[in-house]
Formats: sequence, C-alpha cells, structure tokens
Amino acid sequence: MILAASRVPIVEVTTFGLAKGAVYALLALGLVLIYRTTGVTNFAHWGIGLMGVVFYFLLTSKAGVATPLAAGLAVVTCGFVGALCYRFVFRYVKRTNQLVLILIALGVAQLFTALSAMGFGFASTTILDPWLPISTVSVGSASLRSTQLIAIGAAIGIAMLFLPWFRYSRTGRALRAVAQNREAASLAGIDEHRYSTVAWAIGAALAGLALLLILPHASGERGGVITTADITPFGIYLIPAFGAALVGGLVNLPLAVVGGFVFGIAENALILAPEPWSSLRSTIAAILIVVLLLLHTERFFVARAEQEALET
Amino acid sequence: MRSTITAEEAIAEAEAPPAARRLSVRFPSLTRGRVITGGVLLGLGLIPVGVDAARNTTFWEYIGAYIAVWAMLELSVVVVTGYGGLISLMPFSFVGIGCFATGLAVSVWGWPFWLAVPFAALATVPISVAVGAASVRLKGLYLAIATLTFASALGETLFKWEAFTGGQAGHTIDRPKLGPVDFSGGFAFYALTMAVALVLVWMVHGLKSSRAGRAMLAVRDNEREAQALGINSTKTKLTALVIGGALAGVGGAFYLALLGSPAPAGFQSPYVDVSSVLLVVWAVIGGIEAASGAFLGAFALIVQQQVFQGAEKLFVFIGVYAALVLVVFLIFRPGGFVQVVKIQSERIRVNPARGIPETAGLVLFNVIVIWLIIHFGTVATKT
Repeated sequence: MILAASRVPIVEVTTFGLAKGAVYALLALGLVLIYRTTGVTNFAHWGIGLMGVVFYFLLTSKAGVATPLAAGLAVVTCGFVGALCYRFVFRYVKRTNQLVLILIALGVAQLFTALSAMGFGFASTTILDPWLPISTVSVGSASLRSTQLIAIGAAIGIAMLFLPWFRYSRTGRALRAVAQNREAASLAGIDEHRYSTVAWAIGAALAGLALLLILPHASGERGGVITTADITPFGIYLIPAFGAALVGGLVNLPLAVVGGFVFGIAENALILAPEPWSSLRSTIAAILIVVLLLLHTERFFVARAEQEALET
Repeated sequence: MRSTITAEEAIAEAEAPPAARRLSVRFPSLTRGRVITGGVLLGLGLIPVGVDAARNTTFWEYIGAYIAVWAMLELSVVVVTGYGGLISLMPFSFVGIGCFATGLAVSVWGWPFWLAVPFAALATVPISVAVGAASVRLKGLYLAIATLTFASALGETLFKWEAFTGGQAGHTIDRPKLGPVDFSGGFAFYALTMAVALVLVWMVHGLKSSRAGRAMLAVRDNEREAQALGINSTKTKLTALVIGGALAGVGGAFYLALLGSPAPAGFQSPYVDVSSVLLVVWAVIGGIEAASGAFLGAFALIVQQQVFQGAEKLFVFIGVYAALVLVVFLIFRPGGFVQVVKIQSERIRVNPARGIPETAGLVLFNVIVIWLIIHFGTVATKT
C-alpha cells in the first residue's frame, strides 16, 4: 500500500462528505415531504432555497442585520415562499397529470432563478458573510472545520426531531393521512389544502436551511461565494438530493436522510481511490441514481394501488 | 386543422382505411389554413429583416437567424414531449452532440458542412436509444430525473472529452457555402436557417398526422389502450426520441454555424440545465402540441432574451414575467400561444362584436404589463 505511507486524510474527507450529505439529506427530506403530501416532484426546490439565500444576502449586506438573525429570518421566509407556491400555483393543478405538474414545477424554478439573479444584482459572483462560528477543530491528527461539523449535527438533529414529530404529533399524523388518502382524510375532517400548505412550508424551510448551511461557508474563512453556477434551476446539489430521495423511493423519510449521507460520502470517498477510480467521482451520483431508478425503489414502500394513484 | 387529437380520435384515425396509412410519413396537403399559418410564421420571421432595413444594422439579421435555429431546437421538444408525452430534461445535451459532431466533422475531418448535418443527426441516435431504453422502464417523473441525470453525466464525460469537443474553446467553423452561394453574410445565413426551420416545422406538422405520429399521440394519451390496439409502445417511444434527437442534432449543426464556436462549458452541468429548462418551458409557452408552437415559442424567447439583453439586463424582468405567464398558461391554456390564437379567432368568428374587443383587451393588457416592467425595470436597474 503506497497510500498508507503518506498520511491519508480519511477523517477530513469523510467529514466533508458527511457535510455535503447533510445538505443532500435536508433537501431530500423536503422533496419527499412535498411529494408524499401533494404529489409534486419539486423541481423548483433549489429555486425556493435560493430565495432564502437572496433574503439572507439582502438582510446582511443592505440592511445590516446580524448574520445569525438574518439566517433565521431567511429560513422562515423560505417556508413562507413554499406556502405561497402551494397556495397560488400547485393548489390549482390537477394531480392526475404528472407531465403538467413537472412542467409547472420547471416554470416555478425558472421564476425563482430569475428572481434570485435579480436579488443578487445580476453580479457574476456575490460574496456572502458566514453566520456560523468558524474555527478549526482538532480530532486526533485531523483538523476539521467547525461549519462542516455543525452542518452534520444540524441535519442529524433535525431528522431526529422531525421524524418522531411526523409520526406521533397531531399535525404529523394529519400530514400522513393526507399523503395516504386525500378523500378519506377530508372525510375525517382534515383540511387537505391546509396541511398541503404546511408540508410545502416545512419542505421549503428545510431547503432554505440546507442552502444556508453550505453556501455562506463554502470557502472557509472568507465566507461563501455565489457564482452563476449556483443561480441555475437545479444548482449542483439538487440532482444528488433527488438520488437521496430515491433511496427511500421518494416516499420514505428516514431512508431519504440516510440516502443523503450515502451520496455525500460516495462522492467524496472516491478522492481516496487510486487513479482510474477517482475519476469516477464526478459521475458516481449519476450512476447511483440510474441504478436506483432501474431498481424502482418506490415498489418497496408504496402499495401498488397508491403508487398508481401517484403516477397516473 | 386541429392542434389536439384525443385518444379516441387518434384511434379512429389509426383505424382509417388502409390506403391512408400506406406511407409511414405523410406531408400535409396545402389547405388554406396551412398557407395562412405558414405565411404568418414567415411574416414573424421577416420582422427582424424589416426592422434591420429600417435601422440599417445587421443585429436583427443575427436575431432572425437565432430565432430560426432556436425554433429547430424547440421542434425536438415538440416531438419528444408534445407528441410522445415523454418528459426529457436533456434536450440541450442532444444539441451539444449535434454541435460538436458537426465541429469534429468539419474542422477536424474536413467534411463539407452539408454532409456534417446528417452526420450530426445520426450522432444523436446512440444517446436517444439509451434514453429510449430507460423510458421503457421509467415513466413520468422517474424519466424526468433519469434524463436530468443523463444530462449531467454526459456533461462530465462526453463534453469534457477534448478529442470530441475540441478543447476549452470548442471547434471553430466557417458558415457554410453551397456552390456559388455563400451563406456567411448576415442576410444569406438568416434566409438559409429560416428556410430550414420552416421546412422542419412543415415536416413535424406532417409527422403528427402520419402513422408514426398518430401512434405517438395514442401512446401519450393512454399507453395501455394503445397497446391493446396493437401499437408497439416501445417502438413508438423510441421513434419519438430518435426523431426528436435528430432534430436537435440538425439544430445543433446550425447552432454551431450561427455562433462560430460555442464553448463546451455550456453543455456541462449545471449550465446545460438552464438551456434545457428554457427549451422545455418556451416550447410550452409556444404550444407544445403543435409544430408552429415551437416557432412561436422560439420567437418570444429570443426576442425577450436578445433584444432586452442590451437594455440594462431588463431581460431578467421579462424572464420573471414570462415565468408567471408560463404558470398561468399551464393552468388555464395548456396549449400555449397556439391555443390562445385558436380560441380567440374562434370567438371572433362566432361573435365579432364581443370577440374583437376581448382580443384587443388581451393584447393591450400584455403590452401594458410589458411596458410597466420595462418602465419600472429601467428605474430599478439605474439605482
């Protein structure tokens, strides 16, 4: 083993992978929640998250609000944007035609991409101030970034809080009822539109949080830089997030979180691999997604009848 | 002339006497309505030249050619998504394959441009077949995710392979010549691309009423029903994808001739998603089920993009307006511009006293909204 002789930064690479995985996990959680409750494959998820980042940027650079407060407000705004999306657009779309739903989601993505380009003042690069404490933590011989550890902790913490809440709380049970059978839920006195709005708000807020965890801290001490690559309909994180959601067949929440971390580590672990394999790094997510799609993961989680109701 | 054919009608047509379906591709006969449609499209295409002559510049000739090329690209979305009902989020990757295949053939192998165009169309076939293989097992949103993934994987492999793309700057080619005719001039190239685009619009319109096209519509509307009638759905989907890919490939060849040398970075993730989403979204605004809709969508997109780009980035404001229009269109007028034109002309025909003011009001409302955007947009971008 030649690699063993020189020190391999296994801990650093894994932490970075987990931090990326945390972002995928939070995005996937929102995607799954929205898909389960309202049947919309949310291709506008990145765009909605970007609106939160835009709001954060405007608050910190133009209004001079303290960065942690601005981040909190941005996450809340994001949730609000998500609720508006449902109230004004997706509420009026029949769920029966997946093609139209996808096209509308693309239109909404286009809208938010244009709006965020406007919010960043059409600049090709925008610098965001960090809002998490930045320092280096030494674990053994490895030195880790605090922001990455916080991102991992936040994703795990949110998943630990959210999943029991979704399972046992009154709102969570109502959300699951709407997801399983809209008519029956309505008959039981559950306001379908109200809980769909709640699902969109939570999903969108999670998207905003995910983006705010990574984008302002992407380049360490200097904060984060938003480039034109970020102001695109899907950014660079949404495709692996879809992959993570597919691990749970787009409907299973805990597995979506696990899937996020799997995709994060899979992309980064290949850095350590020897030469021909490390070049797979940029396409590993695509390969995994195609495998997951061809496995038809949804059949493990959804009864045939329910799947047909979602698909038609 | 109908823009939408229901499953029942498509099936009824498929059951038509055998004489009508002997030819696999049938060109539309020239009825009065079609002549008018062609005339209107040609007229829209001629606007840039008229403005050009009035202002004595060549900018508008470039825009005219851009509209024509973009219309070819939109046609691939019309065939794949409009006729075939397959949601593909990678149309611009097919354009890239056509583009670099042409560049490779012309600038490296020294082929004439006219031979490279069919080569570009053929070069997209392997990828179309791969997507087709996926589309057999994946439907709706799963196919959308798969194509999105394919686009990003192609960007990381094929469009980073320097032997194919010609390095960071891409291949550079000159505009084509045909015997004594040189298409390098602004007007000549504009006329060439517009002619090719209109012929392709005509062919795609003809495809809709051909046997293959009717099979596509039947499979789109109800796959099981179509299969029960003996239509091979796999073959039909594959046909839609291969024809759509070939159209994108031809469009890519002219896209290369138009731009000279597009950089491969535009075909890599995430930039390729921007163009693919634009293509799909504007095909819908134009009218995704009609070949002329592709032309209208391309016209609206390029006018808002290129014309307002010079005016202090106003095109983003127009982009926001366009996105709102798209959402409204999809909910209330899923047939796009083509459907709006059809509904309004029908209303005028039935009741002119009500229809004419209504149509005028609709046009006026949109003109006012665009004017307001331009007005306040100018104020906002100045500060």
